[in-house]
Amino acid sequence: MSVQSYQLSDYLEKLPGTTFRKLYQQPSTALAIFRRMLPHLAKVFVQGMLYMPWPLPLSDLDKWVNPDGKMARDRALMTLRSLHIITITPPGKDKPQEISLTTNFKKSLRSAFEGSGDHLSFGLPSTRPIDPSINITFLDRYARKKWEDILHYVVNSVGGETSSSRLAAAGPKASVKDLLIAGRLVERRSDTKTGIAITQAGFTFLLQEANAQVWTLLLLWLEAVDRSSASNTTGLDSVDMLSFLFMLGSLDLGRAYDTEALTESRRNMLPSLVDFGLIYIPRDTRQYFPTRLATTLTSSASALRSVSSGFAAATHNNSADVTSIGTPEASNSKGSIVIETNYRLYAYTSSPLQIAVLALFATLHMRFPGMVSGRLTRDSIRRAISYGITADQIISYLAAHAHEQMVRTAAALGRPVLPPTVVDQIRLWQLENERMSTQAGFLFKDFDSVEEYTALSSYAEEIGVLEWKSDKKGLFFVSKYEQIRDYLKSRKSAK
Amino acid sequence: MPPKRKAAPASSGASKAGRTSAMSTPGPATPRSLDSSMMSDAEDDLNDPEVTEVQRQREQELGQEADEFVNGWDLAKSHLQTRPEGWSGDAATAYFGGRRDFSFLPLKPDHPNRPIWIDPNKGVIVLERFNPLSEQATDFLITVAEPKSRPTFLHEYALTTHSLYAAVSVGLDPKDIINTLDRFSKTPLPATIRKFINKCTHSYGKVKLVLQNNKYFVESVDAEMLETLLKDPIIGPLRVHSSEGITTSYAPTMGGLVIPGTKNAAGIRQAELDKASGKPVAPGAEAGNEADLYATLNDEDDDDDKTAVHSFEINDNAVEIVQKRCLELGYPILEEYDFRNDDVNANLEIDLRPNTQIRPYQEKSLSKMFGNGRAKSGIIVLPCGAGKTLVGITAACTIKKGIIVLCTSSMSVVQWRQEFLKWSNVNPDDVAIFTAESKNKFSGNTGVIVTTYSMVTNNRERSHESKKMMDFLKGREWGLMLLDEVHVVPAEVFRRVISSIKSHSKLGLTATLLREDDKISHLNFLIGPKLYEANWMELSQQGHIAKVQCAEVWCPMPTEFYDEYLRANSRMKRTLYAMNPRKFQACQYLINYHESRGDKIIVFSDELYSLKQYALKLNKVYIYGGTGQAERMQVLENFQHNPDVNTLFLSKIGDTSLDLPEATVLIQISSHFGSRRQEAQRLGRILRAKRRNDEGFNAFFYSLVSKDTQEMYYSSKRQAFLVDQGYAFKVITQLANIEKTPDLAFATAKERRELLQRTLVDNEKGGEDDVETDDLFGKPGGGRGRKKGGFGGGGVRRTAGTLGELSGGHDMAYIEQNKAANKTLKKKAKEVGQNAFFKKIAREKERNRK
Repeated sequence: MSVQSYQLSDYLEKLPGTTFRKLYQQPSTALAIFRRMLPHLAKVFVQGMLYMPWPLPLSDLDKWVNPDGKMARDRALMTLRSLHIITITPPGKDKPQEISLTTNFKKSLRSAFEGSGDHLSFGLPSTRPIDPSINITFLDRYARKKWEDILHYVVNSVGGETSSSRLAAAGPKASVKDLLIAGRLVERRSDTKTGIAITQAGFTFLLQEANAQVWTLLLLWLEAVDRSSASNTTGLDSVDMLSFLFMLGSLDLGRAYDTEALTESRRNMLPSLVDFGLIYIPRDTRQYFPTRLATTLTSSASALRSVSSGFAAATHNNSADVTSIGTPEASNSKGSIVIETNYRLYAYTSSPLQIAVLALFATLHMRFPGMVSGRLTRDSIRRAISYGITADQIISYLAAHAHEQMVRTAAALGRPVLPPTVVDQIRLWQLENERMSTQAGFLFKDFDSVEEYTALSSYAEEIGVLEWKSDKKGLFFVSKYEQIRDYLKSRKSAK
Repeated sequence: MPPKRKAAPASSGASKAGRTSAMSTPGPATPRSLDSSMMSDAEDDLNDPEVTEVQRQREQELGQEADEFVNGWDLAKSHLQTRPEGWSGDAATAYFGGRRDFSFLPLKPDHPNRPIWIDPNKGVIVLERFNPLSEQATDFLITVAEPKSRPTFLHEYALTTHSLYAAVSVGLDPKDIINTLDRFSKTPLPATIRKFINKCTHSYGKVKLVLQNNKYFVESVDAEMLETLLKDPIIGPLRVHSSEGITTSYAPTMGGLVIPGTKNAAGIRQAELDKASGKPVAPGAEAGNEADLYATLNDEDDDDDKTAVHSFEINDNAVEIVQKRCLELGYPILEEYDFRNDDVNANLEIDLRPNTQIRPYQEKSLSKMFGNGRAKSGIIVLPCGAGKTLVGITAACTIKKGIIVLCTSSMSVVQWRQEFLKWSNVNPDDVAIFTAESKNKFSGNTGVIVTTYSMVTNNRERSHESKKMMDFLKGREWGLMLLDEVHVVPAEVFRRVISSIKSHSKLGLTATLLREDDKISHLNFLIGPKLYEANWMELSQQGHIAKVQCAEVWCPMPTEFYDEYLRANSRMKRTLYAMNPRKFQACQYLINYHESRGDKIIVFSDELYSLKQYALKLNKVYIYGGTGQAERMQVLENFQHNPDVNTLFLSKIGDTSLDLPEATVLIQISSHFGSRRQEAQRLGRILRAKRRNDEGFNAFFYSLVSKDTQEMYYSSKRQAFLVDQGYAFKVITQLANIEKTPDLAFATAKERRELLQRTLVDNEKGGEDDVETDDLFGKPGGGRGRKKGGFGGGGVRRTAGTLGELSGGHDMAYIEQNKAANKTLKKKAKEVGQNAFFKKIAREKERNRK
């Protein structure tokens, strides 16, 4: 949870104040920021000041917090300032410091709370007839499939044997693939069958909650648009896009909205959002349905879990699906992995995606309905490391998904959840690959004479830049070359 | 694990090759290829000319038959689970090679309450240990399947032909096996498994060979099967014609048989006591052996729950032919010994001492053996230190006939005899020893003989006395043959033992039924099925064996050593990674650390050169194959009782059956390639630690490996078995404060260089052949005859060098000559009263005199 909101906040913090002013014109954005980005105390501050007619002296704010909550207060104020929600007057001699909400934010949030105005910021529900088959279950399955396609693309970039034809048919759109490559979640490599390979960032991406993953991808998209808008080709504005995303987050799941009510540029975004699985557009209608991925975009942490549980419910109802026979806990990615001291690994899962993730760093042996067995081996870990996945990432993945039995046993015996020997061994396997250290530098060769070689190499040694030399071959290697170049010049000119 | 199709020609080829090499009497310098020494477990001394060609042929045939039979039933080969029509798997199917994805199997509605999954193709069973039913499931699986992995949460078992064979032989019904598996399984039992079980059990264990009233009967519950056998052109005529056709009687039950040492036994004894003291006895308690037996045979009143068995008699001398023929027909014969009805062989007066109580798992294993009141042949697998000997002795006390015990070394012969006297009330004169040193016979007309495998199998250069002894052994019928440490003995030796000595039942004992050469399957046919295998972790949690902390210490090789290592041949490589000075330092550090904690330490080294170098340098006592019997005993005594001798260096002769309950720490500096068995056996040396039940006590097992050498690779192989038993090896890359060790050896670069030089020089010309045998199948006379070669003892050598070298200008001039600590021991022993222990003894002697 923390990881992904930092990502969004990182992005937001980089934005200039003017952008915020523009963003806050939309009540939906103001509400989304308020709901998602603010710590609890900050929310209290905002709520308190929202209907105050005049600025609040900063000293009065201290009365709102416990004496020992000063740190929390400062942090809240900092967040509020960085998001341009409040302004604090500079300290002066005659006047005490005062705090107030920024105008746009105040206005928009008030109207969001009151439901006033005709801004259409929360979308216009479609008045046309709705296909009854498009219900929440349908949308959940649709979104899950779309999203898993993307994840599979990232994971399967290493899954050697997967038939490429199946992948190509079911995989995400080319634009999404390009986005993933541009975001360095995967990289092109000639040594894999699919031509691409997962990167360290890609693995981090996989380990995130679904909601964080969505944001990661969306931010990549925004950044890509930012970059190309410098050359003015797409006609998309990242500020408006962000605004639209916040709006999507405030829509109702299962309700149809009118595409006609959207601006031209927002309508242009729809195809990409369909590709991500955030919205569903039935054929030949002027309607769009936000999926759970979209409606939970701005939910707080507790609501996030509803993504996976919603998905779990969706697949569980569908008894025709092979993968759905698993136990309820199997479809939930939490708490399913048992790792033994003999490196055997058992995962209570039937999700092809989780199996694919496991296949990144384990050798899989057998698959039963709802259970997979495998083993961590030196080779499997080394393979994972060669893709840039780190030992710590694997360990934290195992720890985060440790089976309830492991957690319970560990708690009872006061031992760590993962067997320490296995953790050590994974680290050692990584260390094995890190014996070689590299250093950039410069190689000097082809000297005119032995004297020149000797003089230069000993000079390099004197000034402490010599890394390696071979008297026999007349070669030496230095970390910096400027002084040697000058020395060589002066030597040449002296001759 | 389905047995590999390891064709018999291959094994016969190997023995042939061995024979030729024996004729050319190889010297110690004969190069051994890495592969052969890795694979063969000391099988090369089976070439004795006196064994007739016929016998050898017979032995080979036996092996071949066993192979063929085993390979006939390979689950993976015979049939594969077919996928349902239209099932194509999903995106993840590809990770399982298409054939190991069984997610199409339907789950039962109440699957969370059932503990196991079954792989339909290979018969692998995964068991949830945290399931409420897991205890029952474990008990059942240990009987029908082979344990593969038993760590904390999920266990793996495998259904194999052997395991099913064993299950049937202890009296399980195939239908019950299938039903119980189905009951525990989360998915309906796959048809392939059903078929496999039926197919295996169809032929296994159906036909029994029973020796009753000293007549051999072929017995079966299935009358049709006997008809088939009788119609067979070979078996038919062998039937004793006086008996008319097939007779029908009733299956034996456990009846009144009581395994001594159990609670049940205690009750009976109480009843007998009561009887003796004239108290009124409850009628039920009077069920003595005789009466009950009689009831089993003749009583037809309450036979509702008894199964009928059918049998026909065959001639004594036709037994082997019938056995062979049945194997060919696919009905391997199970041997059972109805010892309670055998009145031809004299009874032996032997019983467990009244205060002896055997542990639950020992009782469980024995109940498998005597399940129906008769003695079955088979193998019992218990970890070292879990009381295998007592199991053997209890079995002997149950059968009460002539007992022959075969063990691996003369050292353990002595121990076995002592154990017999310790646990049972047998007359000491009735326990005889047959070794190179002593050849006793028992006084009465029956008794216990303890001997070694090599004494029985080596026919060469036999003295008149031992020849007489052999004739004595061969000329008798034995009630029980106890085979100690069955895993170390090549199958060929067993064949010879079994074909030359007649015994009614055989019990194999071992800790590790593992062989790197895959010959284990032969034991199943030569001795019998595995009757029981204990769970190491469980025993250690219950306190029957010590808890052990395992660690692997990585010792980097100094550059100059690694340089040599890369250039050296494979033998020298082994010497070099054993002599790695960092390893030496680690060893020294660990010895210092644990000695200061009051631990007793055993250091193992396979490499003789390094064994001696380490022991001499650190001034510790050592034992290897060349150490004489008297010196061995003395060193061991001192290690056990002398507070000044806390560290003992052992070569691999100490791997098995050396009972040192004082030892609490084990350090391994060099080992036999990737032998999982050796690792487990060595661990076993500290499992019986006396102090194991102290609060928070831990034994320690360190394996020192030189980094970046082959040792690392072997080490992970070696640990495989223990790791699957649930042991965890912690890797230690850095020993804290090692550099602060007082008198740290080889601390300077110069010393290290000297060590390297000396190692290279000493081992230059091939050195001694340090591939030591286990003192088992070595040439007659044990290791004592192999003193030639070796360091320091070599002949004259011409080397190129400078005058400086001769004058001592180089590192090589000075060689440290450490005195062996063994010698000091001897001296000390003479000067009685020098240390506390001997003083005490002297005082006691003094007192006794008064």
